[in-house]
Amino acid sequence: MENNFDRGSALSIFGSDRREDFMALVLALVIAFGVYFTY
Amino acid sequence: MVYTKKSPALFIIGVIMLAIWFTAGNGMLDGYMEHLAAGKKYKYGAELTTIPLWFGLLSVVIGAWQWFGSHSEGAWDYYSSSVAGAMFILLIAMLVRWFIAPEVAVISMSMGKVGDTGKYIHKLLGLNYVVMGIVTGIVIVNVFKVPEWAKNGVRVSRLGLKTGVILLGTLYSAAELKNLGGLSIIMIGFFVLGSVGMVLWMGSKRNIPNSMGGVLSAGMGVCGVSATVASAPVVQAKSVEIAYTIGTILLWGVGCMFIFPIIGNLLGMSYVQFGAWAGTGILNSAQVAGAALAYQPDGIETLKVAEIFNITRVLVLPIIVLWLALWYVKREESVTETVNVGQVIFEKFPVFVLGFILLFALSTTGMFAPANHYKGKYFDNTKTKLLSPEQAQQLLSESNKVQVAERQAALQRLLENGKIMSIDDDNTIRGLINAKVMSKDSNKVLKKAHKAVRHTAKKIKAFRNWITWLFAFGLVGLGMQITVSSMKQAGGQPAVIGGVVGLTKAVLSLIVVMLIVGETV
Repeated sequence: MENNFDRGSALSIFGSDRREDFMALVLALVIAFGVYFTY
Repeated sequence: MVYTKKSPALFIIGVIMLAIWFTAGNGMLDGYMEHLAAGKKYKYGAELTTIPLWFGLLSVVIGAWQWFGSHSEGAWDYYSSSVAGAMFILLIAMLVRWFIAPEVAVISMSMGKVGDTGKYIHKLLGLNYVVMGIVTGIVIVNVFKVPEWAKNGVRVSRLGLKTGVILLGTLYSAAELKNLGGLSIIMIGFFVLGSVGMVLWMGSKRNIPNSMGGVLSAGMGVCGVSATVASAPVVQAKSVEIAYTIGTILLWGVGCMFIFPIIGNLLGMSYVQFGAWAGTGILNSAQVAGAALAYQPDGIETLKVAEIFNITRVLVLPIIVLWLALWYVKREESVTETVNVGQVIFEKFPVFVLGFILLFALSTTGMFAPANHYKGKYFDNTKTKLLSPEQAQQLLSESNKVQVAERQAALQRLLENGKIMSIDDDNTIRGLINAKVMSKDSNKVLKKAHKAVRHTAKKIKAFRNWITWLFAFGLVGLGMQITVSSMKQAGGQPAVIGGVVGLTKAVLSLIVVMLIVGETV
């Protein structure tokens, strides 16, 4: 699959694992605060 | 390169989601939902009438733009092109959660409970959304192939898994640590680190790839799916290696679940001893509970001890991830050069595991639920309605049936105060209910008294839902990256190593438990 993409890797659309980690962290915090203020 | 495919696929996915929403909202699926609920209330009614609407609308709008719009090279094109694949995975996750998994449960329940375990076969085999999500993904990629328009989106699945692992931190709280005795911490620490070390050592002897050894060690050492997912990026594990690890853990657990209670009975182990052994030797939470209940169907003492051991393992997770990060760099990057530990930790330690710790810390402050909660359940009797005189009379008339001193005392306190007074009493009353020594009517009163003091935190319930969705999404996508040829390439080595390490851990922990553990942990 790798050859089809000039960015990211076979497992991720992000350029590096760290960037993916930060995106996951941001997403999780958005969900966490969403839940905190909604329920 | 332009990534967006001019295809009607995303638009069609949106229409299918809207069709699910419409038919569910207008009662057209009521009959089917009743069948899936198997005599209870269908759990996902509220989800069916909201989630497909929002994602359906999103898919229709972006799908129309992808189909008819003009696209040019750039970051927007690159990232937005993944929406089609992501929605494809989400649609499959919806079908697995709402229809396929409940259907399997209905079939399983029609076959009756398995022996003394008190559980149905789908529970014991772990046939839930985790396994079904991966299997569905594998079937799609091997039978139909992942369509060209969805390929970019399949790579979003790992983001879902990582987000799910971070949110897992909300389900636990440091208050749980006070329940742990010194022995449980030492035992878990020893066996977790020992299993991880042994898998890594055997892996290197048997020449399996470092990524496979790394992810298998976390799965066999810590606990099942979450640990596997959390450690996978650190050792750059391939999808097939993650799936192999999950498969090995579940298969190992199935065998243990049936054999552990037999051995426990042969050796005449106490409830505490058996709970400590099951909590150490079996990896998957549901299977630990299955074995504990099979050993003690009429109480929850064994289950409680097994659960304590189970939680401790999750809390060791960040340490294992750190160890694997260092181990992997040492093995992969340069054998001759000295590795700068600080630099490796800074560069390789996954930020999402820090996220797990952050949310665990927030959960401990009591931000999402009272700080003493465990997986969202907590004890509170301040606003509890008291037993009615009739209910108290019902219990009093049968109190002589209760023979165990601890249960007699808890029942006495319940009668005196009209409500359950402490979390320990609540646990004892639960044991009394399970033991079924009183009549059905009395048990009903006890269950009411128990429910009146045990509360579920709404926020934690919402987090559990999010985690389930994120994992379902991630695992379907993971399955879609596993081809038959990659499975052949991985071979049977992981199962052999998993079996040897699992057996060693089970035997050693049995010896330790028999020698050291008494009536307390």
